[in-house]
Amino acid sequence: MYNKRRVATILVALVLSVVLAEADDAKHQATSSKIPKGAKVFIAPMPDGFDTYLKDAIKKKKVPVETATSRDQADYEITGTSETQKAGTAKKLIMGNWHSREEASITVSNIKSGEVVWAYSVHQEASTHGKRSSAEACAKHLKDAIEK
Amino acid sequence: MQSKIRVVPLLLATLIVDFSCSSLLALAQTSSENKPSQDQSKSDPAATPSSDLKPTASDEGQLATVNNAKIPAYAKVYVAPMPAGFENYLIAGLRNKKVPLTVVVDRAKAEYEISGVSESDKAGWAKMLFMGSQQSNELASIKVSDLRTGAIVFGYSVHKGNSVRGKQSAGEACAKHIKQIVVD
Repeated sequence: MYNKRRVATILVALVLSVVLAEADDAKHQATSSKIPKGAKVFIAPMPDGFDTYLKDAIKKKKVPVETATSRDQADYEITGTSETQKAGTAKKLIMGNWHSREEASITVSNIKSGEVVWAYSVHQEASTHGKRSSAEACAKHLKDAIEK
Repeated sequence: MQSKIRVVPLLLATLIVDFSCSSLLALAQTSSENKPSQDQSKSDPAATPSSDLKPTASDEGQLATVNNAKIPAYAKVYVAPMPAGFENYLIAGLRNKKVPLTVVVDRAKAEYEISGVSESDKAGWAKMLFMGSQQSNELASIKVSDLRTGAIVFGYSVHKGNSVRGKQSAGEACAKHIKQIVVD
């Protein structure tokens, strides 16, 4: 009889801990929710036309999202910034490096809720294909963030 | 007579050297008095600012919290636009460092606001030649304010002389330190 009570108490404690852990996970997922497959995404204009590179990269990397031409038609919005520094004479002569330095950062936000669901930044000290490389890096990581 | 002629320029030269040395010493003393060093501000309690901001030791930056203020987990945070789009790097840093905060794009929906400044200095030819480094010099400073009360609850500044990943490193450093004041 005593053993049965003990087992029942342990079972109740286990069930409670599982329920609490799931509730915590659900709470955490609210902040890092995944982007659904086939979601309509609007790419906002970015400095140096990085949005164009990003659109191309999304197509090239076969990211399962639809790019919308208008913000009103979209579920998500991608905003960001990018910076390019071409190799100067000093870099070419002293470091023997012709490649440009690329920096980019993008943020994906849910238009309806206004929450940022995903963000990524990339830095390439010697980018072989310039902006194209950094845009493809962003697209590749965006693909991972989309629900399969 | 000749010896007197020789002595006069020597005396003049000694006077000039003496005068220049004393002026240099005086200049050095005044500059050291005017320059606020970190050690002085740490040892002298009167030198610390009168606000509630408490400086805390950090690896590469300066951190300050108001009365050990904490931000609740999953609080809604708005990241205000910063120079050179640093807000994007900061948001990416928050995600990368798994800071349990909800970032919103609308300031009206937020409980806290993160604002700040950032600056990048690219490596010049002298740095490349003498130091053999092509990495940039990054400076960033952020503050977190409570939108309801208007109080600044947290402040942090970072300086990286040789930032391997440029703005990304600075953004992640800020995010890492924001995580310290977020409580579950």
